[in-house]
Amino acid sequence: MADSIDRRDFFKGAAIGAAGLVVGTSEKAGAVAAEPVSPAPRVVLPTDAHANDLAYAQSGPASPVPVSVQGRPASDFMVDVLKKLDFDYVAINPGSAFAGLHESLINYSGNRAPEILTALHEEAAVAMAHGYAKAAGKPMLVCVHGTVGMLHGSMALFQAWADRVPVFLIVGQHRNPTGIVNLPHSAQDMGSIVRDFVKFDDETTTPERFAESALRAYQIAMTPPMGPVLLSVDADLQEEILADKDRPRIPELVRTSPPQGDSNAVREAARLLVAAESPILLPRKLGRTPRGWDLMIELGEALQAPVDVGTYGSWQDFPSWHPLWGNGGAGYRADVTLGLEMSDMSALARAARTSGRKTISISSEHLFQHSNIHDYGRYADVDLAIAGDAEATLPSLIEEVRKLITPDRKRVFTERGARIATAHKDAHARYVENARFGWDNSPISVPRMIAELGEQIRNDDWAVVSGHQFTGDWQRRLLNFDKPYRYNGDNGGFGIGYDTPGSVGAALAHKRQGRLSIGIVGDGDLNFQPGVLWTAAHHKIPLLLIVHNNRAYHAEVMIVQRMCGNRGRGNANAHIGSAISEPSISYSQMAKAYGMYSEGPIEHPKDLAAAYQRALAKVRAGEPALIDVIAQPR
Amino acid sequence: MKSAFVVIVVVLATVPALMAQTPAPPPATGDAKRGQELFEKTYRCYACHGYDGQTGSPRLVPMMRAQDAFVAYVRKPSTAGMPKFVDPPEKDLIDVYAYIRSIPLAAPQADSIPLLKGIIDRRAKSN
Repeated sequence: MADSIDRRDFFKGAAIGAAGLVVGTSEKAGAVAAEPVSPAPRVVLPTDAHANDLAYAQSGPASPVPVSVQGRPASDFMVDVLKKLDFDYVAINPGSAFAGLHESLINYSGNRAPEILTALHEEAAVAMAHGYAKAAGKPMLVCVHGTVGMLHGSMALFQAWADRVPVFLIVGQHRNPTGIVNLPHSAQDMGSIVRDFVKFDDETTTPERFAESALRAYQIAMTPPMGPVLLSVDADLQEEILADKDRPRIPELVRTSPPQGDSNAVREAARLLVAAESPILLPRKLGRTPRGWDLMIELGEALQAPVDVGTYGSWQDFPSWHPLWGNGGAGYRADVTLGLEMSDMSALARAARTSGRKTISISSEHLFQHSNIHDYGRYADVDLAIAGDAEATLPSLIEEVRKLITPDRKRVFTERGARIATAHKDAHARYVENARFGWDNSPISVPRMIAELGEQIRNDDWAVVSGHQFTGDWQRRLLNFDKPYRYNGDNGGFGIGYDTPGSVGAALAHKRQGRLSIGIVGDGDLNFQPGVLWTAAHHKIPLLLIVHNNRAYHAEVMIVQRMCGNRGRGNANAHIGSAISEPSISYSQMAKAYGMYSEGPIEHPKDLAAAYQRALAKVRAGEPALIDVIAQPR
Repeated sequence: MKSAFVVIVVVLATVPALMAQTPAPPPATGDAKRGQELFEKTYRCYACHGYDGQTGSPRLVPMMRAQDAFVAYVRKPSTAGMPKFVDPPEKDLIDVYAYIRSIPLAAPQADSIPLLKGIIDRRAKSN
């Protein structure tokens, strides 16, 4: 399962890049100390993304900002701080409350590192950052306007929080508003709007505090359990002229090492696992980096235990065609269950306690929680609760397990592994067998839609960048998720509207690796943030979006049908409020309107392969494309 | 939504075994054409079972219940995921039944479908 060019290498590269930045900036800081004049901004050439940007083309490449004898804008200093954080991109929907910072990003920084991504809605901006962070292994910067931009972005911020994903958000506001517009866009405590679902927020009242808070926020965002952070920045502060002599020192970014579980507790966990007759491993949001993926394989194979990634909660921390993938088969009754970054083990723990079985939790969730949003699940009285990041704890757990494996236990493990492998092979065969039903029918079956895709991307280095909440397990069964980046996880908070912008953000991260990104998104999801199609087209983000178009919020249709039936008041109108038809929406025309290549509606399976081929040719050439597939509900 | 999905998966897994053990029921007596209209547009049975009655879950094709048993089940289902259809006239349910019985099973053998055979072969080679 070795992965030559993967997220781990990328992450290492990013860390080295960041270290380089640190060194470079330190040297720069020394130079500043010797000669109190800030370095002149670089002049950069237009990037590919700029080629379509008329405003940029008219203004030409960035020219040096005239340095006033008094100093330069504080927002230039803020950009220098942000450069320490190694942001490649900043997603924005423009707002006057961060116009100072916006101008500095364009003209002082030359729209490089970070490069601006123009979003047409703040929810799309934050959701792009959410998807990007999971694929890139580091956060994206997002800037929003006071109150209104913040509220627009808050939904996606909540999803990132629930998914334990870092997003770095800056909200601009006028602390001393005077006009009818600025007054409602200011707040005495802007952070309170989203405080329930960010790990850290601060109002930065001086440049020095901005620098320290930015570095602290980044550190907190990246320390497991990871999560979004927020800085509120006054518009006047951004526009203040900062004399060179008053320019504060920018501290170095110190990356925290993730917390590891207590060694005695880890030893006890290993003892339980090795002694167990039928252990099971349940990874959820384990793979912060590809190292977590490798370690999970190592532990599973050392124990020859099944590895069940669950339905929606994981970041797919185990290869889906691996013989140990799954729950071990119908007859497998676990006597020791190890949850790794599993947010709710309460039901498992209760059931285990009634039958003498053991449960173990290794999770950073034990270290930190807010109290308002109930995403922390119910209280779980597991037998062993180890507070620590699972990925960071796995090396010591694996080492302890290996120490305890005797030749006798190894023999038992080998036999167990063979049984599990057979069960997985049979289960996979049954799934593939089920894919044949309705194979040639119209609307197109979901497995046909996915199998046809799999055939077209077989020789690509691909990544599915959307979730799989509404396509069941078909993705995992019909596509071989054999690399950590093949799957990017679901939305986190079970809120619709993440998949499309999240796919665009993740595709941007994969673009740097030359990977082919595919998002399979519902028509319901696409309608939340269709403007992100323009963002993908404008910034030339290669991505194939397949619209799983079933013309309804189908999960809700079924739920309302059940409600109607339970109350005995008629089922014939259960679709009202959930169907998206009469008129049906043309997503192909929608994509074209946003400047994206598109085809559809594709109603017959015989037309799928050719449509995929044409669209993938565009994507491989560096453009986004959309295929509207009229598909069965599930 | 998650709990509903789990129920659906469990039912999906058990249906083929039931089908294998049950003989084909007597012919339907209803109006299949009218039943299709009811299936797709009035009661929207397709939401769970697919437009063709075989791509959703549980699969309805081939229908192994007898007509009376079908009507009784739809009115008072024994599985949590299935909505109760208490008030539709019996004629409607009989017509829906007739439509379901009229749907041909569109399920070629998996190993006769090159795409699926390719997946089976690659899965076998991957381990």
